[in-house]
Amino acid sequence: MDPVPFQPQFTEGMNQKRTAFQKIISSFVLLVFLSGSLVLNAQDGKALFNQKCASCHAIDKQLVGPALKGVEDRWDDKAMLYDWVRNSAAVIKKGYPRAVAVYNEYNKIQMTAFPELKNADIDAILGYINTGGAKAAAAGAAPTDAAASATAEDESDANLLYGILTLILAVIALILLQVNSNLRKMSDEAEGAQTAEPIPFYRNKAYIAIFAILLFLGGGYMTFQGAQGLGRSKNYQPEQPIFYSHTVHAGINQINCLYCHGGAQDSKHANIPSVNICMNCHMGINEYAKGPQLFREDGSKVDGTAEIQKLYQFAGWDPGKKAYTGKGKPIEWIRIHNLPDHVYFNHSQHVTAGKQNCQTCHGEIQKMDEVYQFSDLSMGWCVNCHRESKVQFKENKFYSIYEKFHEDMKNKKIDSVTVEKIGGTECQKCHY
Amino acid sequence: MKRSTIVFCGLAALLIAAIGCSDVKRTPGKVYMPDMANSRAYETYSANPVFADGRTSQGPVAGTVKRGEEYPVHIEMDQTGDTANYYASRALPNPFDSLDADQMKETERLYLINCGICHGAKLDGNGPLWKDGDGPYPAKPGKNLMGSYASQLTAKQRWQVITYIKSKQGK
Repeated sequence: MDPVPFQPQFTEGMNQKRTAFQKIISSFVLLVFLSGSLVLNAQDGKALFNQKCASCHAIDKQLVGPALKGVEDRWDDKAMLYDWVRNSAAVIKKGYPRAVAVYNEYNKIQMTAFPELKNADIDAILGYINTGGAKAAAAGAAPTDAAASATAEDESDANLLYGILTLILAVIALILLQVNSNLRKMSDEAEGAQTAEPIPFYRNKAYIAIFAILLFLGGGYMTFQGAQGLGRSKNYQPEQPIFYSHTVHAGINQINCLYCHGGAQDSKHANIPSVNICMNCHMGINEYAKGPQLFREDGSKVDGTAEIQKLYQFAGWDPGKKAYTGKGKPIEWIRIHNLPDHVYFNHSQHVTAGKQNCQTCHGEIQKMDEVYQFSDLSMGWCVNCHRESKVQFKENKFYSIYEKFHEDMKNKKIDSVTVEKIGGTECQKCHY
Repeated sequence: MKRSTIVFCGLAALLIAAIGCSDVKRTPGKVYMPDMANSRAYETYSANPVFADGRTSQGPVAGTVKRGEEYPVHIEMDQTGDTANYYASRALPNPFDSLDADQMKETERLYLINCGICHGAKLDGNGPLWKDGDGPYPAKPGKNLMGSYASQLTAKQRWQVITYIKSKQGK
C-alpha cells in the first residue's frame, strides 16, 4: 500500500539502462508488485485486525472502544494516528485534541499499546477497515429439522387415518346389519309370515349394550389417563421472561450445555445460570442479526435484539456507558422440570458418574427455541431406564468398587451390568 | 325437534373442544396431593422472605473459603484505565504448573466447555462464537470484553486451564 520506500530503488535501476522498452517493463513490474502487495495487505489487514484490534473494536459497532469505520476521517493527522496505535498514552500526554477527546469519551480506558505495529501494518488494518471488513455472509445458519417434524406429522397423520378407517368400517357394519334385518323382514313378508314390527336401533337392546360397553371402556381409559397424568407435566412449555433460544445458543453457536449449566457436573442441580454468565458473551454481542428469524410457539415473530435488551435491563447493564448501573434484578425464569418433593434426583450422579447425555432426558434441547418438558419424569420412566441402561464400567473410576462385576466381566461371565444390578431400582435410592 | 337440538349441541361442543385445544401446553397441569409433591422447605431458586434480597440462593459469606478451595488471592480489579493490578496478577506463581495425563484430559474438557467457544478448540481464536469477526474476542482474563469466570471455574481449575494453555502454546 505504501509505495514510497520502494520507489528510489526502481528509479536507480532505471537510471542505468534507459530504454523505453525497459521503462515500460519496469513500470509494469512495479504495477504488478504494487497490486500484489495491495492484495497481500488486504489479507494481512484482516488477520492483524482480528489479532490485535477485535478484542475491543468492531468495524461498525461500538464495543469497548469506538467503531473503527471512518477512523481516518476523525484523525486529521495520520502520523498522530500511527503514534496513537503504538502508544496511546504518549499521544494523550502531547495533548492532541482528538486523542484526549476519545480517551475521555470512553471512560478513560487506556488502549493497549502495540509498539510492534509498523506504519505499513497500521495501513493494512486501515485498508481492511475501509473495505468494510468485507466478509462472507454467515451461511448455513439454519440447520433444518424439517425431517424430524415431518416424521412426527406422519405419525399423527397415520393415527388419524386409522381412526377414520375404524369409524367408516363401523358405519358400514351398522348399515349392513340394518340392511340384513330389513331384507329378513321383506322375505318374511313375502312368505306371509307374521313378524313383529322392527325396533329402531336406538331402542335396540343389543346396540344399547354395545354402546354402554364402549362408553365404559373409553371413559375408563380417559379417566385412568387423566388420573395418571396428575402431577405429570410432559410437554409443559411455559413462556419465559426472556425469549432465550436453545437453538441459537446450544445449536447454532455450539455452546456446551455445561458452559451455562455447570452445576450439572458436580452438584444435585443443573444450575440456572446467573446473569454474569449471560454477560460473559452479551457484553459484546448486543444484537441478534445473523441468525434465522425466531418464532414463538403461537407463530409471532421474536425480535432477538429486543430480547438482549431485556437481558441488559435485568443485569443492570448500560450498553451506552459500558458499565453496570447496579440496578439489576433477578430474572424469574419459570421452572419446567420439577420432581415431587419425595423424590431425590442428582444431576452429577447421572452426568459425571453415569456419563449420560443431557439429551437422554431433556430431548433435543439444541433444537428447542422454547424449551418444553421432553420426558414425563414419571417413576415408570425412571425405573425403565434404570433397568435397560448399561453402566459404563470401562474407564470410569466411580464404579471401581464393584470388584465382583469387574471380575465377572473380565472372565466373560457377563458382558454388561445394568443400573438395576448395582441397586438402581432400590426404593431408598431415590425415596428417603 | 328436541332430539335434533341435543345432537346439534353435542356436535358444537366437540367442535369447540377440537378448535380450542392448542398443542402448546402453557400450564404445568394439576397435582395430586400437592402437600406431598411441593416442597415445604425453601428450594434453591424459590423466593425466601428470610433474606433481605428475597432469594434462597445466596452467595458465600464474605471472608469464607469453600472446603477444598484454594486460598483466595487478594488482588482487586483494576480501576478503569489502570493496569497495575493486572500485571501484579500475572506475576503470581502458578501452584498447578504441571499436570498429569488425567488432569490434562480433564482440563482440556474444561477448556473446550468454557474457553473454546471464543478462543477455539485449537487455541486459534476460531471458536463457534468468534469466527473471523463474528463476535467478541476476549483477550485477557477478566479484561475488556471477557468477563470473570470465577463462577464457572474454581481457582484450581483456572490455574490448571492456564497451565493447559501454556503447554499447548509451547508446542
